[in-house]
Amino acid sequence: MAKGRELKGRIKTTENTRKITRTMEMVATAKMKRALDRVTSARPYANALSEVLSSLYSPDLAERFPLLRQPEQERRAALILLTADRGLCGGFNSNLIREARNQLARLRASGVDVELHIEGRRGVGYFRYVGEALTTVVTGISEKPTADNAREIIDGIMSRFMSGELDAVYVVSAQFKSALSTPPATQKILPVAPPQRKGGAPDYILAPSADEILSDLLPLYVRNQLYRALVETAAGEQGARRTAMKSATDNAGEMLNVLRRTYNRTRQAAITQEIAEIVGGAAALE
Amino acid sequence: MLKVSVISPEKVLFEGEVESLVAPAFDGEVGILTSHAPMMTLLGKGTLRLAGSAGSYQVEGGFLQVVDNNVRVVTERAEKL
Repeated sequence: MAKGRELKGRIKTTENTRKITRTMEMVATAKMKRALDRVTSARPYANALSEVLSSLYSPDLAERFPLLRQPEQERRAALILLTADRGLCGGFNSNLIREARNQLARLRASGVDVELHIEGRRGVGYFRYVGEALTTVVTGISEKPTADNAREIIDGIMSRFMSGELDAVYVVSAQFKSALSTPPATQKILPVAPPQRKGGAPDYILAPSADEILSDLLPLYVRNQLYRALVETAAGEQGARRTAMKSATDNAGEMLNVLRRTYNRTRQAAITQEIAEIVGGAAALE
Repeated sequence: MLKVSVISPEKVLFEGEVESLVAPAFDGEVGILTSHAPMMTLLGKGTLRLAGSAGSYQVEGGFLQVVDNNVRVVTERAEKL
C-alpha cells in the first residue's frame, strides 16, 4: 500500500493548505470591509475641498501659484508608486509594478529625468532588485494608511515642485472597482488640475482673501489626492487577496476530490487483489 | 438652527444641528449664529466649540464655510475633546 500512504499524505497537506487559504480569505474579507469604510469616509473631505477650490479658482490665478504652474517642458518628474507590503494577493503587486515600469519607460523615452518614490515592501523589493535608485522608501503603512502618512510622503516632493526642481508628479496606485477588479492607474497630481466649477458660487465673505485661501488649500488638496490613492490601494490589496485566496481554496477543493478518488480506487484495488490471493491460496490447498 | 459638519481627511467627526458655534479662525475666534452671511475663512489651530451637548473639537488648519445655515468645518486634523 505504498501508493496509498503517499496519497494520504498529499490529501492531508492539501487539506491543511486549504484551511490556511480559507482563513486568509475570511481575514481579507473583513479587512477589505474596513478598508472600504475608510475609502467612503474620506469622500466628504475630498468633495468639500474640490468644491471650494473650484469656486475660488479662476484661470488668471494659475500664473501666481507655484502649485498650478504648468511647465512648458517636463525635465524632471517624480513617480510615486504605491504597492502592498505583503504578497499572496494574486497579480495585484505585479500589475502595479508593471504599470510603474511602463510609465517610467514612457517618461524616460521622452527625455524626462525620473526619480522614484515607493511605498510598500513589494514595490521597494522589486525596484531594488532591478537596481533602480530610490529617492524615498516608505514601508509598513500600506495596510492602514493615515492622512499623516500621506503628508509625510508628499510634502517634501510638493515643496520641491514649488521651488521648480520638479516639473510633474505622478502617482501609480490601484483603483478599487470591485474585489475582482483592482486595476492599476496613473494619476498626475502635480501641477494641480483644478476641479471644474459646477454652477455659480454664492457671494462669499472671504477671510483673509481668495488668494490666501487658495494658497492654503491647494497643498491640502494635493495631500488629499495622495491619501485617497493610499486608502484605495489598501482596499484593493485586500480585495485582490480575497479573490486570490478564494480561488486557491476552490482549487484545493477540486484537487482534494481527485486525490480522494484516486486514493479510494487504489485502496479498493489492493483489497480486491488480496481477496484474489487468498482465494487462490485456498484453492491451491484443496 | 445651524447644520454643522466637522470633516477631517479620514472621516466625518460630527454631523448635526446646533444653535451656534465658535471656531478658531486664522486671526482669532469667530462665532457663527443662524442666518450668517455666506462666508469662507481659513482656520488656525485651536478649539472648535459647538453649543449644547455637541462638544468641542481640537482643530488645526483647513477652512470653515457658511452657506444658508449650513456650516462646514473642513480641517486637516481634528480630535474630539
